[in-house]
Amino acid sequence: MQTVVDIEGLSHFYGPFQALRELSLSVPKGCFFIVIGPNGSGKTTLLKNLAGIETPAAGAVRVLGRLLEEYTRKELARHLALVPQLPSEDFPFRVRDIVLMGRSPHLGVLGLDREADRKLARQAMAFTGVEPFAGRRLDQLSGGERQRVFIARAICQEPEILLLDEPTAALDLAHQVRIMDLMERLKKDRGVTVVMVSHDVNLAAMYADQLLLMREGQTVSLGPPTEVLTYEILEKTYGCPLLVDESPLGGVPRVTLVPSRYMDPDKGG
Amino acid sequence: MNADSPSVVGRIAAVSAALAVLLVSAGLLALLFGSTDTVTDAFFSLFRGSGKADPMAETILWQIRFPRVLLAVLVGAALSLGGLVFQALLRNPLAEPYILGVSGGSAVGAIFGILLGFSRFPGVSLTAFAGSMATLALVLLLSSGQSVLKKDSLLLAGVMVNAFCSAVITFLISLTQDARLHNIIYWLMGDLGQSGMDQVGLLAAMLIPCFILFFALSHPMNLLLMGKEMAQTMGVNIRVVTLVLLVATSFMVSATVANCGLLGFVGLVMPHLLRLLVGPDHRVLVPACAIGGGAFMVLCDLLARVLPRQGEMPVGVITAMIGAPLFIYLLKRSGSDANRG
Amino acid sequence: MVEGDFRGPVKMKINPAKWPALRPGRFFTIRALAVAFVLALVCPPAAAVTGTVVDQLGRKVVLSEHPERIVALAPSITEIVFALNAENRLVGVTRFSDYPEAAQRLPKVGSYVHLDLEKIVSLGPDLCIAVKDGNPISVIRRLEALGIPVYAVDPRDIDAVLDTILEIGRVLDAKPRAAALAADLRRRIKQVRSKAAAAPHKPKVFFQIGITPIVSVGTETFIHELIGLAGGVNLAAGSTPYPRFSREQVLAMAPEIFIITSMARGEVFAQVKAEWMQWPSMPAAKSGRILLVDSNLFDRASPRLVDGLEELARIIHPDIFGDPS
Repeated sequence: MQTVVDIEGLSHFYGPFQALRELSLSVPKGCFFIVIGPNGSGKTTLLKNLAGIETPAAGAVRVLGRLLEEYTRKELARHLALVPQLPSEDFPFRVRDIVLMGRSPHLGVLGLDREADRKLARQAMAFTGVEPFAGRRLDQLSGGERQRVFIARAICQEPEILLLDEPTAALDLAHQVRIMDLMERLKKDRGVTVVMVSHDVNLAAMYADQLLLMREGQTVSLGPPTEVLTYEILEKTYGCPLLVDESPLGGVPRVTLVPSRYMDPDKGG
Repeated sequence: MNADSPSVVGRIAAVSAALAVLLVSAGLLALLFGSTDTVTDAFFSLFRGSGKADPMAETILWQIRFPRVLLAVLVGAALSLGGLVFQALLRNPLAEPYILGVSGGSAVGAIFGILLGFSRFPGVSLTAFAGSMATLALVLLLSSGQSVLKKDSLLLAGVMVNAFCSAVITFLISLTQDARLHNIIYWLMGDLGQSGMDQVGLLAAMLIPCFILFFALSHPMNLLLMGKEMAQTMGVNIRVVTLVLLVATSFMVSATVANCGLLGFVGLVMPHLLRLLVGPDHRVLVPACAIGGGAFMVLCDLLARVLPRQGEMPVGVITAMIGAPLFIYLLKRSGSDANRG
Repeated sequence: MVEGDFRGPVKMKINPAKWPALRPGRFFTIRALAVAFVLALVCPPAAAVTGTVVDQLGRKVVLSEHPERIVALAPSITEIVFALNAENRLVGVTRFSDYPEAAQRLPKVGSYVHLDLEKIVSLGPDLCIAVKDGNPISVIRRLEALGIPVYAVDPRDIDAVLDTILEIGRVLDAKPRAAALAADLRRRIKQVRSKAAAAPHKPKVFFQIGITPIVSVGTETFIHELIGLAGGVNLAAGSTPYPRFSREQVLAMAPEIFIITSMARGEVFAQVKAEWMQWPSMPAAKSGRILLVDSNLFDRASPRLVDGLEELARIIHPDIFGDPS
């Protein structure tokens, strides 16, 4: 099995605080790889190190077999794209221009696009369904629509690896599913490896090929959802009582939060 | 892509051509009119075929007005571009070319030069330039403790350095009693009339490479607006681009200020004005600011020379009195467009 | 050439002893004309006669012997040119050239710290007269680069002012008038000085040129010299040309005479005087000797400095010189 990302012994500090402790893992090609875990577990730090926008204190990150340091920025951008958690509202360009900017790593000095680039942009906008607002500005769109615009832009980079930082965190229910479906289609239709940080355990369970559960900068468990999402592992990691059963959709694990009134006072809660 | 969105190159060409026409017209007017009627009369009599060559008019035209118009173009372009680049770099619409300490440093340097008795060229302009380069170094040093990529640290360092320099300037002014005080005040107000062709030529040689550099980096500037991290993921080498833009802009603005003092307002308003007219794409904005900024400055300087009955007004007064209402009008109009559209 | 006196159609300063043809006698007119003709061939017309002179700053300036279109680059120069009766050749002055009154009607070329280059050039001058302290050197250089001769003077003190008058007289081809003027001014100065020197007591004078803050004059100023010549003691003497004082310091110096000069007249003076009168411990307040003078008589390097001197003398020693008007 081919791996697109290999991480060895990755450590990262924010001042005195160690966000990642000698983390090692590999992401297989074409995998829908989702990272979950409580706040402060280092999920976003991991993503940023992967994208090359943070430098680790120790350890190596290999993308497509090469060390990150060996890539120039532009080269890396042709293989790896990042969709931020909260795309800026005040970016003054129109949607069609933003999507076209995704072609930058493939363009020359002035970023002058050719017809082929514009075609790719049109396709990306069609794929994400943002064509109707091609002429609008970002502040005229909803959160979910903005997210899709930035995904379209990332698609234009023609990356082999797509990184997303909690893309569904601020979205309504319809958009949450829509984005996840988009990712699945990308994976299936174009063979893109999707690495996503998520806070929504259930959503992750329904889509992930591989789940990475993190806590305090370390791997707690790595594997398919059925392996990772067990009651013991989850309770230890999140430190709260949880109900884990099977979802009627696809038999994947389903995690339910437990309000304290359901707790037996003897068992403690 | 929609068929009706014009290509970038086409837009650059169209905008540049339109503004160039404006610039040439402004330049012609500025050459024709001034504090004396000599040139105007000579031109019109030549036009009517009745006059012959008037050597004095030629002297005034080519030795006095022409360098001044050239200087106005260069200064207007440099200050507008300075504001544009800093607004992109710092992602702050209030950024202007003096914000990172250039105004404070050059003023302190110039005042020292004046107090030491240097003449305007080369003495005072050299000390002014040295002063602003020194404050640039200081600002970089102060903000390098944190990562130089953090935009707020640059801004804060610049504001602090400018404030400190302001205090020094006030102190130096309070000590000065004699005619040098006049020189200091005129320098601070900004004056386009002090340079001859030599200085203008030197300034052009220093500025034009900067203009070309900014045009080459105009696409990364677009990406910069998305935020440093996002720009990086789209292939921009943030460290290099930030440093290059910072140093080049400071160099350009310092050279400009060393020539003509502190002309305010242009660098803040022209980028916004042009953005309202031609959009946010820096590939179009860079040539627009250069040509449009130059035209604006030429016109303002012409008014400054022609309007008052006695002597001339400070150009900075005209740029503010014209620029501010114009900007507000355009802002309101674009606001109502957006509501309708 | 010595000034001779003979009747002839051409007034030339020729020594008859050297030119036998010009001795009075028969056919004098024809002879004189012949000499004039020969000389006219040899000496080009006056307007084109140029010479190189060295100005008060040691600069070599090439200018015509009889400049016809003069621009004065400072109000003091304007006054001197008028005093030399050469105002008919004056084509441009600076903005604050307000004396004499006729100067106000002449074309203005900007202020002396901010000259209008274009205006100067358009007047077609064949000579500009500049002052060292004040006119910016860059403008002077540009004028010279445009082929306009600039003669610079440096009237640092009263003696230098008299020299300047003589210099300008030489340059304008008005030497006799300049010599007469300078001699008259010297005489008046000498008169004041000798009379004042005889006074038994030299009063302490505080000369206030700035209201807020309180500014007086140090040793390197005209006013200091004038006060000394008029028989007073300048309390603010010292190396700082325009020293500042707090009110306390002034009171501590106990001035006997208070002289105020400023741009604002009238009500401002009355107010300032009233403020100083509040301190009866100050001798000047007790005696009420707080007076206002016209600043233009004291800070311009022109013949009126001597008028200022005489006024000061009247203020400081009214018993010797008569009461001030």
